[in-house]
Amino acid sequence: MRTFLLLTFLSLLTISWTRLEAQESIIPQDSTDFGDFLVLQDQVPGLSFRWQIKDKSLPESLLLDSLFLFAKTDSGYISQPMEHFAQLHEMSSRFGLDSLNVGLSYRVYSEEVSWQGAREYLANLVRNGDYQPIYEVKDVSEDLVVLAKKTPYSPFLKFKILFISDYKLFIVTAVIIFFFVVSIVMIIFMIILKVKKSKREQHKKEYENLIIDPLTSLLFEKELDEISVMKASDFHAYFPAELLQKVLFKEVLIQKIIGLNKKMKGEFKGKLKTIYQKLDLDKMSIQSLKSGKWYKITQGLVEINEMDLVEALTEVKGHANSDNFHVRSQAVATLLNLSEKVDLNFLKDQTFPLSEWQQMNYLRIIKFVSNVKPLKLEVLFESSNQSIRVFGIKLVRMLGRLDLLVNLANISEEVGLEEQIEILETYETLGAHMEVGFINRCLSSENEELAFAAAKAAFSLGDENSVKLIYSRLAKDQLSFKLKKQLLKTLHALDISKFDQATIGASDPISGQIRAHILDPLLSHV
Amino acid sequence: MYSFLFYFLLEVFGLMFLILSFAVISIYILLMILSALEMRDYLRKNRFADYGDIITSPIAPGVSILAPAFNEGMTIVQNAQSLLSLHYGKFEVIIINDGSKDDTLEKLIESFELEKTNFAYFPEIETKPVRGIYRSKNMSFRRLVVIDKENGGKADALNTGINVANMEILACIDVDCILSSDSISRMVRPFMEETNRSVIAVGGVIGIANNCDVQDGTVTQYRVPETMLGKYQVIEYFRAFLMGRMAWSRINGLMLISGAFGFFKTDLVRKVGGYFPKTVGEDMELVVRMRRYMEEAKIPYKLGFVPDPLCWTEVPENAAILSRQRNRWMRGTIETLQLHQAMRLNPKYGILGMISYPFWAIFEKSAPILETAGLLYTLILLVTGDFSAIYFFALLALMYLLSLLVSAFSVLYEQVAFNNYKDKKDLRKLIWMIIIEPFTVHPKIVWWGLKGHIDFIKGKGGWGSMIRTGFKKAEDKKNIQTQATTS
Amino acid sequence: MKKILIIEDDLLISSLVQFRLKKDGYDTHLVQDGNEGVKAIDTLNPDLIITDVMMPFRSGIEIIHHAKKHQPDTPIIVLSSLGEEEQVVLEAFNLGVSDFIPKPFNPNELAIRVKRILQ
Repeated sequence: MRTFLLLTFLSLLTISWTRLEAQESIIPQDSTDFGDFLVLQDQVPGLSFRWQIKDKSLPESLLLDSLFLFAKTDSGYISQPMEHFAQLHEMSSRFGLDSLNVGLSYRVYSEEVSWQGAREYLANLVRNGDYQPIYEVKDVSEDLVVLAKKTPYSPFLKFKILFISDYKLFIVTAVIIFFFVVSIVMIIFMIILKVKKSKREQHKKEYENLIIDPLTSLLFEKELDEISVMKASDFHAYFPAELLQKVLFKEVLIQKIIGLNKKMKGEFKGKLKTIYQKLDLDKMSIQSLKSGKWYKITQGLVEINEMDLVEALTEVKGHANSDNFHVRSQAVATLLNLSEKVDLNFLKDQTFPLSEWQQMNYLRIIKFVSNVKPLKLEVLFESSNQSIRVFGIKLVRMLGRLDLLVNLANISEEVGLEEQIEILETYETLGAHMEVGFINRCLSSENEELAFAAAKAAFSLGDENSVKLIYSRLAKDQLSFKLKKQLLKTLHALDISKFDQATIGASDPISGQIRAHILDPLLSHV
Repeated sequence: MYSFLFYFLLEVFGLMFLILSFAVISIYILLMILSALEMRDYLRKNRFADYGDIITSPIAPGVSILAPAFNEGMTIVQNAQSLLSLHYGKFEVIIINDGSKDDTLEKLIESFELEKTNFAYFPEIETKPVRGIYRSKNMSFRRLVVIDKENGGKADALNTGINVANMEILACIDVDCILSSDSISRMVRPFMEETNRSVIAVGGVIGIANNCDVQDGTVTQYRVPETMLGKYQVIEYFRAFLMGRMAWSRINGLMLISGAFGFFKTDLVRKVGGYFPKTVGEDMELVVRMRRYMEEAKIPYKLGFVPDPLCWTEVPENAAILSRQRNRWMRGTIETLQLHQAMRLNPKYGILGMISYPFWAIFEKSAPILETAGLLYTLILLVTGDFSAIYFFALLALMYLLSLLVSAFSVLYEQVAFNNYKDKKDLRKLIWMIIIEPFTVHPKIVWWGLKGHIDFIKGKGGWGSMIRTGFKKAEDKKNIQTQATTS
Repeated sequence: MKKILIIEDDLLISSLVQFRLKKDGYDTHLVQDGNEGVKAIDTLNPDLIITDVMMPFRSGIEIIHHAKKHQPDTPIIVLSSLGEEEQVVLEAFNLGVSDFIPKPFNPNELAIRVKRILQ
């Protein structure tokens, strides 16, 4: 930026410099024109001239002319010095009749110079601003270029108006136009949005009121088998036929039925489902799966899930590996919920890592379906997606699948760290005493996290071996505070005398602090 | 020659202001569009979220709420009670008594049946000495931890809390904030959602509680504050939160999460060394440092933002207090930018270095200076009788219109998305405020910002030079001794 | 005729409940948020209150507090949208509610419980 400013500054300077030079060039370049130019000036300070005649004799009239006051020299005659150039023309006319060898000699102060010398002197004066040349006032009809060349130059003011005001005008106009166009577009957009939205809201409210009463009476007055034999036209007694054609009305209806379905129990659920299908709302839900917009697809999936539309399962499957997070999660949730036997292979084949949010949703559904359907969790252990494998182990823990502990034991040695940590936690929660060998192996791991998880698991599952391992590790290793605290806690739970040995009289103050912490009754139950 | 220089400078500044105003208009319009898109997506996403699930799910992360308290004896018990009654499964409330001179600690001990414990923790971040850690005998207060320590300022108190915290996520809040009961579950959601990036922090919206009815921790009736400064801040908060941060979060360019309500990943906060107690802008500085750490470690990450109204606070309506707050904010901004100047226009830091940092440097830090200069400039043009003064007048008018547009849009957002101010009268008051604000309150805000600059330049002390030279790397904070002799 | 106050923000649910209870010959009143609920308790003097726990402005717990303070003898049935969340159930029974029905629920079952309580 700085260099840019400097450059502009310099270029501005050069521009003004050339303009000054141009002014000086107004002085003519050949001797006759220069003479004419001087006539126009009349007087130039320090510049004078003398007439020089290179003839042996001079007419009487000229000799006596008091204007010239010719004096005789070796080569001819020379006039007195004169300063009024305006008289030049008049004077030369006096020489006119006689064919004399007349010449003009210029003088700067008292020094004789050539006409070029005189010109140089004048140019200098102009350049330094010591002399303002007078310009000939000419008719505009004459050459415009010549005229322009002779127009006096005033450096700064002119420059400003011509250049600066133009770009300012340009930018300001651009900014204003830009601002107004964009803000008008935005305002119109917002107004349209608001009007559309409030219209929609209004319609929705209206429809809601039209739906609540008929739906309520339909649910209480008719039994399930009565509803299932109703024809489409029978519903027109409840919902006006022309409204059932409207998409928005159907959307509100879907929304209401689903909302109710979530909060109802018993025979009402069945009735709602039948109404949903009889009104062809299920076709709408399935249709929205083909939409290009993620939120419409997700909405469709939610509806299919809520209303148990098993016939749409193949289409749902197509979305299970979608790029969109919400579509993917909802599709998987729907599949888990609706599949006849819960085949977790599609989950195993997911390529995207599972987020905690998805795990939470899937866990809720799997928990629910595991009560009614057989669940082959172990397929998840074979997934090539690490987050799925970890989730599989978590599920063993959270669903309390003691039968799968054997499977975990089989894979525990070759899986990665994260899975091992998860397995340790599962052993701990499920009380897998037979796996203490694995726990003890992990206790001496170099990896902090793994050793920590092992120490936690050993708290309730440890044996004499664990005590030995912990005790020796406490004695020789430099441990982080977190790991040390857990090891001591575990040691305290397994063998109090060893715990006392490790902490009483320990050289470092930290062991003492941790000991006090562990023995504090207020902290032990937290 | 002098007059030449004068006119030349006039031209250069003129060009600068023209470019600047063009940039201001384009950037604000861009921000408006970005925030509108983000808001639309958020509302769509929200339709499919079941927050009730997070409360009980074993997969949801644990949250440690850190609330520093200094001389809060009057309200501390009620505030602690409302924090303890938040709807969430796995959380603890850590109240840090920062050497209060009143009976804050005594009141807590008495009301919650606290007892001093031998709680052992690792002081990973250096802080002022801790006098005791208290817990309750009563099982209903099992979530409460009270730390009593010597006074060291808000950042130091939070650092102590960070050392003691047990959960994966830290929620740093002002103890006098009113939190809606579902605030934790909503704020935790962004942490759980990402699959390929790690979410390092989540910011929330702060609402203004002045003149509103509050009952048991939620605002039951919204009303616009009575005073001009209060009303101004309502609009300002809409602008900052609903528009500004929403837009920045869309391009993952957030640089500030309000210190009154921010959620962070515990391990990362510890890794970068916690808050920096020697700056007045500790909340912004921490976020910038965490981001910088992730950029330097080249780990993909994201900052989340939740626009739901979940947290309310009383804002100062008194000019003297507000001026001090603004002065502090300005100094905090300058200090943070100074500390992390290594990122300025550095492509290594991606959006943070190339967009967020320059934006903050020009539009937040230098805004009061540029605005004053622009006004002076127009005045000079007017005095010298320059023809182009009229353009600059047009530009000023344009800036005014822009401020109207931006403010009106943020109020509209609030109306479309949440519609909390239901009374038509309140809306009228806000609109009137939008119209007069540029002439009444705004000049004061600019002046307080300028004073912040002046105070920063005047600021002395051992940490002044530290702040001026800045951190070379994000971890540098860890290497300096915070327990210094200053203060 | 016994007066029943229903405090529930979901209009469809509440009108369903209302429809069912009207069939049994009760005089039912409907309000849709916590603030209205508190007002209605004071002015209406109902024989039974049915309330949700999560509502705009005031939670069901607050409403129970209010009702127990001003009309300690009026029985209360909680219709919980929070399911059977332990904390809520405990708190509600601690405050002395007569019954706790988690959603999803069956309106017929609700009607039976109402009848039993009002006898």
